Amino acid sequence: MSDTNQSHSNTMPFSRIPFLPLLRTLIRQKYTFTMLVLQIALTLAVLSNGLFIVSQRLDILQRPTGIDETHTFALTSSGFTQSFNPQNSIKADLDALRQMPNIVNAVATYAFPFSGSSEWDELQTSTGQDEITVPAASYKLDEHGIEALGLTLLAGENFNTNEVLWQTQTTKTFPSAVIITSKLASDLFNTTDWSTVVGKTIYINATYGAVIKGVVEQLQAPWDAVGKIENSIIYPRVITRNSARYFIRTQANKLQETMVEVEDYLATSNQQRMIRKVQSIQTIKKQVYGPDIGAISILMVVIFALSIVAALGIAGLTSFNLVKRKKQIGIRRALGANKTDILSYFIAENIIQSTCGVLLGWLLALGLNVFLVSQYALPKLPLSYVVIAALCLYILGILAILKPAIKAMNISPALATRDQ
Amino acid sequence: MFYYYLTLSLRNIASHKGLSVLIATTIGLGIAASMITYSLIYLMSKDPLPHKSDRVYHIQLDNWSLNTAAIPPDLPPEEVSWTDALNIVHAKQAKYQAANTITWGMVTPADNNIPPFLGIIRATHGEFFPMFDVPFLFGQAWQNYPRGQVENVVVLSKSTNQRIFGGINSVGQTLPMLGQLFTVIGVINDWHPSPKFFDMSLGKFYPPEDLYVPLQIKANLELPHGGNSHCWQSNIGDSYQAFLNSECVNFNLWVELSHQQDKAQFASYLEDYVTQQRALGRFPKATQNIILDIEQWLAHKKVVSSDIYVFFYLSLFFLLVCLFNAASLLSTKLTTTTGQMALRRALGASRQAIFSQCLIETIMLGCLGALIGFSLCALGLSGIKILYPEFSAFITLDMPLLIITIGISILSTVLAGLVPTIKVCMLAPADYLR
Repeated sequence: MSDTNQSHSNTMPFSRIPFLPLLRTLIRQKYTFTMLVLQIALTLAVLSNGLFIVSQRLDILQRPTGIDETHTFALTSSGFTQSFNPQNSIKADLDALRQMPNIVNAVATYAFPFSGSSEWDELQTSTGQDEITVPAASYKLDEHGIEALGLTLLAGENFNTNEVLWQTQTTKTFPSAVIITSKLASDLFNTTDWSTVVGKTIYINATYGAVIKGVVEQLQAPWDAVGKIENSIIYPRVITRNSARYFIRTQANKLQETMVEVEDYLATSNQQRMIRKVQSIQTIKKQVYGPDIGAISILMVVIFALSIVAALGIAGLTSFNLVKRKKQIGIRRALGANKTDILSYFIAENIIQSTCGVLLGWLLALGLNVFLVSQYALPKLPLSYVVIAALCLYILGILAILKPAIKAMNISPALATRDQ
Repeated sequence: MFYYYLTLSLRNIASHKGLSVLIATTIGLGIAASMITYSLIYLMSKDPLPHKSDRVYHIQLDNWSLNTAAIPPDLPPEEVSWTDALNIVHAKQAKYQAANTITWGMVTPADNNIPPFLGIIRATHGEFFPMFDVPFLFGQAWQNYPRGQVENVVVLSKSTNQRIFGGINSVGQTLPMLGQLFTVIGVINDWHPSPKFFDMSLGKFYPPEDLYVPLQIKANLELPHGGNSHCWQSNIGDSYQAFLNSECVNFNLWVELSHQQDKAQFASYLEDYVTQQRALGRFPKATQNIILDIEQWLAHKKVVSSDIYVFFYLSLFFLLVCLFNAASLLSTKLTTTTGQMALRRALGASRQAIFSQCLIETIMLGCLGALIGFSLCALGLSGIKILYPEFSAFITLDMPLLIITIGISILSTVLAGLVPTIKVCMLAPADYLR
C-alpha cells in the first residue's frame, strides 16, 4: 500500500503490511485456507477441553489428606488357626511396633485415606428423626491414632487410654467422645472457631450422642462415596477381627528399611497368622488414583501429538506457499520491500489464519463441552481454558512458520529478474 | 494399466519423500489415537458369552424397607439375600440357576514345602460352571446339592493347581483348607472373563478366584462376606446365622433359560415368589423385580467408564484434525504434480485415467498411514496396559481391529484427497503447458 513512500520505512513494521493483497491471496487459496482454519478450530476444541480435564484430575490428585503420606505404610495380619486370638495379637503387635526405634507410632485401623471402602455415618446437632444430617466417614482409632497418621490437632485434645473401646465387629456400643475434622465441624456448626466446637454434643445416626473432644485440620475419607471427602469422624475404638490392618508411621527416610524390618518381625513373632499386603501409602495412593493418572497421561499425549500435527501442518503449508511465491517475493524485494516487510507479511497471514481458526474453534470447544457435560457429567468449561488454548495456538502458529518465513525473508531481490 | 499407475504413484511418493511421510504419519497418528480408544470400548463391551448372552439373566429383587432405597433413587439391590438365593435356586424354574459370592480363607496344603496362603474363594452352586461355560482342564464341577446338604469338594483354578499340586491332574486328591479336609473334584483351565460380569462388586476387571466351593460351605464354615454386603435392618443380632436369615444381601443370582421366550414365564414365577414371601411378612415394598440379560446388565453397570468415552470423542476430533491436515498437505502435493498431469492429459490421458492415478496414489498413502497407525496403536495399547494394569487381561489387537484400522485409514485418506484430486482432474491442460 505504501511501498514507495520512503518516509514510512522507519515506522512500525506492521504499518507496512499489505492487508488487502494478503486477504485476496488467502481467499484465492480457498481450499487450503479452509482446511487450515478447520484444523486450528478443532485443535482449539480438543486443547481447551483436554487441558480442562487434566487440570481437574490434577486437583483430585493434589487434595490434602491430612496424613503424613511419605513416611507411612500399611499391612494386613491374618490369623488362620482356631486358637488365634485377635485382640491379644493386635495388642502384642502394636506394643512391639511402638518400641521399635524407627517407628514414630502405629495403630490398628481398617480405614485410612486411600484404603477404599469405609462406613459412613449421618451426624446431626440435635436428636430427632427429621433433623438435617451431615455425612462423615468413620474412623476407629486408639489414642495413638493421631500421631500414627500424622494428623494436626487444631483444638481440644486427643483421646486417653481409658476412653478407647476394644470391640468385635458386631458390638454396637458407641463411645462417648469423638474427634472430627475441621470441615465436618464447619458443616455441622457453621463456624471456623474450632475451640467453640469442642465440648458440644453430636448425634450419630439419629441415636447415639457423643461429645466432641477435639478437631483435626484434615483427614481425608477412605473413599469419596458422597462427595464429602473432607468429612471424617474418629471414634476411640479398636475393632478386632481375625484379619487386622496396621497403619505405621516411620522416622524420616526410614520407610523402606522399616517396612522390611516390620514384615520380618511380625512374620516370625506369631506363627498363627500371615502378613500380607505390606504397602507404602504412596503405593496405595498410586493404585487408587491410577485411572486419574492414566487419564492425565493419555490426555497429555493427545495434546502433545495434536500440537505437533497442527504445527507440522502449518509449517508444511507455509513452506509450500513459499516455493510458489518465491518469484513474487523477489519482485516485492526488488520493488523496495525490506526483509522485515516480508517477515511481517508471513506473520500477519498466520495471525489472520489463527484468528479465524480460534473464533470457529471457540464455538466448537463450547459445543464439545456441552456434549460432554450432558453425556458424561463433566463440569462446564471455563472461558479461561479457551483463552489459554488460543494463546498456545497463536504461539504454535508463529513458531511453525518461523523457519519458512525466515527463509522467505532471505530471498534475494535478484530472483525477480531471473526466469523461473 | 493398474501396474503402470502403481509404479507412477510410487515414483511420485518417492520423489516427495518428506511430504509423503508427513501425510502418512499425520493419518497414522489420527488413526492410532481413535483406534486405541475405540479398541478399549470394543474390548470392554465384548460379549462374554456370545452364543447365549441373551438368555442368561441377572436377577434383582427389592427386599428393602418401605421408606428407603437399596440404590438411589429407588432401585432394588444388585444382590439377593441368602433366603431368596436358596429359595429360587432350589425351585429349579430355569435350565440352570446359581447364586455366587466371593469369600476367602486359609489354604494349608499338606505338603510342608508349600506355605499356607489366603485363598480367594468363589462360593456358588454347581450350575455356575455350565451356565458360564467355565472350561475344565481336569474333572468336573459338582451338581447342585439338595437344600442343606453339601460335601467338602473344591474346584481349583489352573494357577492354584500349579501352586499346590504342580499342575498334575489333582482330581481325587485331598486338600486341607478352611480348617477341614476337601476333595479336589475339578481343575479349570485359564478363565478370566473381562468384564467380570457375574460379580463386579470388587471391580469390573477383578482377577479370577483361586478356588471354588459349594455355596453351603460358606454358611457351614461361616466364611466372611466378601463383595457387596448391604443390610437395612438395624438389629439383626450378632450371629452368623442371623445374617443369613436377615434381609442382608450378598449373593449374585443368575439363571440361564432354555429359550429367550421363557423369560415371561420366569418373570411371572418371580412375581408369584415375591407375593408368596410378602404373605410371610417380607418384601414391604411394591414388587420390583429386575431381570437383565448379560448385555443389559453390562450396560446398566456402565462397564466402559465415561473417561474412555470422553477420550474416544476427543480422539475423533484428533482424527478430524489429522484429516484436514492431510487434506491440505495432499492438495499441496498434488499441485506440485500439476505439470506432469497436464502433460499426460495433453498426450491423451482421459480425466478418468488421471483420477485413477491420483486415487491409487492416495490409497498407497493410506496404506502407509495404516501401517504407521497400526504400529502406533500397538504401542499405545501397551502404554494403556501400563497405565491401567487391570485392563491388561483383555487388551489384545485382534483381526477385526486390524481390518477396521486399515479400512478407516484408506477411507479417510481417500476422503482427504478427494477434493484436491478432483481439482487436478478438472484442470484444462493448456493452462499449464504454456
